[in-house]
Amino acid sequence: MAGDNIVQQIDTYLTELLGGWNIYTTAIVVVILTFLLYSLFTPHDPDTHPVLLARQSSVSPVRLPGESAVYRSPEITYGHSLRAGLGVKEPGAPKWAAGKDGDLRDVWRQTVRGAIGDSGEPTGKTGSILTVLGKERILEHRLDEVSRQINIIGQYIRQHNGQRIAIYLPNSIEFLTTVFGKSTFHSSNDPLANQVGVVSATTFYGITPILIPCNLPVETLIHTLQKTKPDFLIAAAGGLPLTDIVRFYGGLKQVVWVVEEGSRHMDWNEVPEGIGGQAGVGVWHEIVEEKKSTVGTALPDNTENESLKDLVVIWHGDKDDVGEVVEFTQENLVAGIAGIISSLPVNQRYNSSDLLLPVEPLSMVYPLALTFAALYSGASVVLNSAISQKTDLALATRSVSPTIVVASPEIITKSINKTRSEMTMGWHKLVYWFETRALTIGGRMPVASIFSSLFDYARPAIGEQPGKLRLLYVAERANTGCPPLDPVDLSDLRAFTGARVVYALTAARVAGAVCQTSIYDYRKDDARKGKHSHFGIPLSSVEVKVVDTPSHKITDEGDPTGEIVATGPAVAGRQAALGVIGTFRDDGTLAYV
Amino acid sequence: MAVVAPINLILLSLFIFMVYMKLRPTPPVAYPKSKPTVFRTFTPRTLLPFNGIGDCPVYLAVNGRVFDVSAGRNFYGPGGPYANFAGRDASRGLACGSFDEGMLTKDLDGPLDTLQGLGAEEMDALRGWEERFQEKYLVVGKLVPAGSPEAEAAGR
Repeated sequence: MAGDNIVQQIDTYLTELLGGWNIYTTAIVVVILTFLLYSLFTPHDPDTHPVLLARQSSVSPVRLPGESAVYRSPEITYGHSLRAGLGVKEPGAPKWAAGKDGDLRDVWRQTVRGAIGDSGEPTGKTGSILTVLGKERILEHRLDEVSRQINIIGQYIRQHNGQRIAIYLPNSIEFLTTVFGKSTFHSSNDPLANQVGVVSATTFYGITPILIPCNLPVETLIHTLQKTKPDFLIAAAGGLPLTDIVRFYGGLKQVVWVVEEGSRHMDWNEVPEGIGGQAGVGVWHEIVEEKKSTVGTALPDNTENESLKDLVVIWHGDKDDVGEVVEFTQENLVAGIAGIISSLPVNQRYNSSDLLLPVEPLSMVYPLALTFAALYSGASVVLNSAISQKTDLALATRSVSPTIVVASPEIITKSINKTRSEMTMGWHKLVYWFETRALTIGGRMPVASIFSSLFDYARPAIGEQPGKLRLLYVAERANTGCPPLDPVDLSDLRAFTGARVVYALTAARVAGAVCQTSIYDYRKDDARKGKHSHFGIPLSSVEVKVVDTPSHKITDEGDPTGEIVATGPAVAGRQAALGVIGTFRDDGTLAYV
Repeated sequence: MAVVAPINLILLSLFIFMVYMKLRPTPPVAYPKSKPTVFRTFTPRTLLPFNGIGDCPVYLAVNGRVFDVSAGRNFYGPGGPYANFAGRDASRGLACGSFDEGMLTKDLDGPLDTLQGLGAEEMDALRGWEERFQEKYLVVGKLVPAGSPEAEAAGR
């Protein structure tokens, strides 16, 4: 029969085919089976669902003519107000109690007490503040001693009637002490006031700190002092021509030198000639030594009806210009800090096992807000006074193993380019290709394996021990001509360091950041090659919209493009136009045009 | 040449096919996107067309605020029990709890209904209605009398 014939033919054919089985066939079958098993049993789940990345921010359903819709973080339900504070609760308060907004004093109190756990009780684990001196030495500061120094310095400033202190220090414990010191000193319960008998219960005067960026040329420093008008100056000893400064700016009443350990044998109390009776000079470590035995570590309590002073920050534009002087109220600062803390997913938040190293000067508000956020959450902070805008990332991080680093785009670009220049061999490119694939297509961080460890010598050396870094913050400063980090750079940064990257947009008048990328957003948009990558979604303390400009009009077609305007409790003056043109993309993220 | 036996070639091509399927780039998924409504300044005459007839959204005005009640088309749309309110100023009707024609402003080019002659109870009822509307529906505009400066500015 014809049917039988066909079946017989197929049968003969198959027998012939399988008869040719040889060693190569076995080898190929083994390879196929390994490939199948590998694909089945390796984890493919991306870190976050792609739908969550496709619609990231919450868009308002109505927009005013001439403006775009208002974009907010999805943490804020539509119709509710933005996050305005830290939710400070007394320890032991019920978990569901809404806390107060708080201010910087609560940040320090929580640092000393340790983070509050889920149950509302302090976990007892406190972070610590470390300082890196030189190459090897790391100094840990006891938090109660720092509280004592806060009290001592606060009293000293009050004694000399200081109202506005200019802090011209690099990242150091003295910097933090002074910033906290100004804010804790308001009560009239201090023994000094009672002795003097001047301050009554209703008279409060706070002290306004002015954060001046370090390493300025003398002329710029003088212009800055003239613009901000401090009456007290705290600076690192030996770096300032005090005579010249006092000649051009006569408002200084007292200067305090912070002397490093190696130079303490010299006498810094000496008042330079030409100053005469105008400004007095004090030395930090001597002040602390003198008052150590009399001043306690207990911080003053909050009192009713006090007006807390603002924090003045200088936003550096051009090199020679003074820049913009911005006054942030306590509400702005705590809203910014709260926005930063809540922008991380719950299982990625700062905890007591984290170590933050700011590789940017703390006189900028974003690293400062991150430091406060880390301290408030019970993480440890390490300060390196050798940090400036031009530091090398490897040098700055070499004696510690930070888990969180905040760096500037200039430093990051240098680091990435150095690693790229070492990627010359073919197998480097193969490792890189697999890692980038895992990130962009797989949506997960590349796993460290023997294969990838071949490349380890070329990776950016961040920290003493590799593999500890888990979060890397890079802040783009709006309107200052920062070098762009394009999506390829950010993806390479993730592949090279094995850490998650947050690219943030910061602006002069916004405490914290305007927008931050999601830490799970590993997408690489090749259309934006060479331009700044997108900045993610607004923080929960800020809402952002774009408004019409003469050159860009908002229409119903396409993505809304216009000047970026930020509003909210974290913005100084409640609303600020950033002065740059931006657009909101389909996925709800903000990007430069 | 044992390596090029037919079975080897078949299995090899199968392997290459599997690798290709695994490594090929997936096309990006497109998600639907909706445009935000533009906040508009309405006069009674420009609000009138929004009564749900055809594919039009249903709007009604309460106390100067225009709400998009298209979600409640069964009530406010054509053929619904409160269809009288669609495209009109419903403040007096809601305050008094009546859907009569008499509750609506007759003259569309005149001034808006000032709600005089309504007692405290009715104003309370109106406030209650307004709160419910704010919770349920979206505010998409404001209602101003025809000929007022805001209407002129919006018309431009």
